[in-house]
Amino acid sequence: MNTPQTKSTASIAVGGAKSAGRWMLQGGTVVALVLLIIFFFAMRPDVFLSFTNVRNILYQVSILAIIAGAQTIVMVVGDFDLSVGATSALAGAVAAAMMIGGTPIPIAIIVALLVGLVIGLVNGVLIAYLKLSAFVATLATMTSVVGLAFLVTNGTTLFNMPEAFNQLGQGRMMDIPIPVFIAIIISLILWFILRFTTIGRRWYATGGSAEVSRLSGINIKRARLIAFTAAGLISALGGIILAARLGSASAVQGEDNMMFSVAAVFLGMTVIRSGAANLGGTMVGVAIIGVMSNGLNILGVNAYVQQVVTGLIIIAAVTLSSLRHKER
Amino acid sequence: MRSKITALGALAVAAALTLAGCSNGGSTPAPTNGGGDAPAPSEDFKVVAFTSGNQTPVGAWWVKAVTEKAEELGWDLTMVQGDFDFQKMNPAVESAIGQGADIVFDGYTDYASIGSIVTAAKDAGIPIFAIDSGTEPTDAFVVNVTTDQQVLVDQTLGAISEALGGLEGKNVMVIGHDPHAGIRMRASLAEADLKAAGANIAGGSIQKVQSPATGRTEALTLVADYLAANPNGLDAVWVGWDDAALGAAQAINEAGAKAVVTGSDAVAEAIAGILSDGAFLATSMQPWPEVLDMVIADIEEYRATGTLPSTNFVAVEPTLVDASNAKDITPSDQLG
Repeated sequence: MNTPQTKSTASIAVGGAKSAGRWMLQGGTVVALVLLIIFFFAMRPDVFLSFTNVRNILYQVSILAIIAGAQTIVMVVGDFDLSVGATSALAGAVAAAMMIGGTPIPIAIIVALLVGLVIGLVNGVLIAYLKLSAFVATLATMTSVVGLAFLVTNGTTLFNMPEAFNQLGQGRMMDIPIPVFIAIIISLILWFILRFTTIGRRWYATGGSAEVSRLSGINIKRARLIAFTAAGLISALGGIILAARLGSASAVQGEDNMMFSVAAVFLGMTVIRSGAANLGGTMVGVAIIGVMSNGLNILGVNAYVQQVVTGLIIIAAVTLSSLRHKER
Repeated sequence: MRSKITALGALAVAAALTLAGCSNGGSTPAPTNGGGDAPAPSEDFKVVAFTSGNQTPVGAWWVKAVTEKAEELGWDLTMVQGDFDFQKMNPAVESAIGQGADIVFDGYTDYASIGSIVTAAKDAGIPIFAIDSGTEPTDAFVVNVTTDQQVLVDQTLGAISEALGGLEGKNVMVIGHDPHAGIRMRASLAEADLKAAGANIAGGSIQKVQSPATGRTEALTLVADYLAANPNGLDAVWVGWDDAALGAAQAINEAGAKAVVTGSDAVAEAIAGILSDGAFLATSMQPWPEVLDMVIADIEEYRATGTLPSTNFVAVEPTLVDASNAKDITPSDQLG
């Protein structure tokens, strides 16, 4: 009589542990975000969740959110783009140089966006049609684009852009910085495209299995080309907003956005069951990076320690992501 | 297949044309002869000049100024531009020394990063003259002319003290960047002097920016976060260089705080910030054209008589730039 009972208890315990493990695996990133928020709130209850500080966090991650959105698209198709940071810097520099030279703001912005689009197009051609690896192709374009940015800025920091342009990055609506609204709008558009449009589904299909997609009639070359082109365009938008936010543009501005955008997408890949890149997850990843940086700053943690912790979190995210893939 | 070959061919042609069109522009890692169109030197005086900081405004000015001086003085100049890549720059300089040189001229590259170049120059028996290549005397150079970091700190802290009515009990954040020897030294001096004056160091110690490339956004975030946690907890921010100081000033202006900021470098944007009546109080101008003239005079003396400078370390005084003189200053990023 006792034996079956013991077996039953053991099986419940093991099943419970398994489901807890699976739950941690599936919801680990979101749980980590919640735990981080609880931890920092417990450490500084008077400050951390105050309106000013939450607005601060949103403001600080808004540009990363835009660039991470771009990175999400190329990671959905199974690639990655090392040139997003350089593209954003060049676009910001082009817009700034043109405006300082007297070009009207809308034209300068359009040209800068086209610069990003062309860089993305070049990446897409190199990767989809000339079959270069995404690592080599985007590393090469990153190098050239940084050089172009130095040529555009002449190695200096460009400033004295029109006030109306700076308002794009520094202005507020309902006491919320404008870049936050722009990041939300871009994220919603990307989420819609990825979830509800044909091209979004083709991107996911290509990332899932390029060969199966090809056999199913999907033009995977064109899908990858469009993904990289869109990433270039969105990165350029991020760079333009960054130039407006700082009121200046330089060749290396925001270069850490590349690494953090990849980190955010990896963090987000653990959020959904399939383990694929997804926009909602990326935004959770962006939030983790923002909350961590802000919380550690508020606690006065040394910048070098912050860097170590950030690296460890990325390792944890990639490990979680890898475990998810194995589980599938 | 044919379309791939055509595409590759087109790429190759485009790359060749681009390289041909750009062959006179941009920096090169390999040694280049800066003598260009200069008249044939009356005496064969070979100079190997190098800088790792050619992508900074002051470094770019130095490359141009030294090249012009070389033409004027009839040097046979080899200029190596390192792009902050010592793995690329050091062997290029050593190779140029190996091909025969009379002197080496170091611009803005800390001696800690060029040990192999110092060894190569010693082996070749030639002296190294330097500008702003370390904050302390070293046998690596026959002369290193730089700015006096203590005077720079005295001047900028003096401006803060005057604006705040003294430093006693005031909360002052110090922002530095350790990999840059000059910034590291002046940040340490500022922290020590602030403590000695009875100020509180906001955040407990020097706040460290990790990368000069993202210095402005890092400083902006640091100060914004600190002000969010301590809304009235900051009276001043002392920053080791202007780009990060501009980020700190922006955070203070956006938060509507009353704190003041000082920087160092006197770049055009910082001068505009000082003149705009915002949080940016003052910066420090380091007299690089005068420093270059001093080192060139030493080199010419050595060329003419073989006499080396009497001291291997000279620290010149910088100039404080505030609202009273900002209009009269030539920004360091617009030197030439």
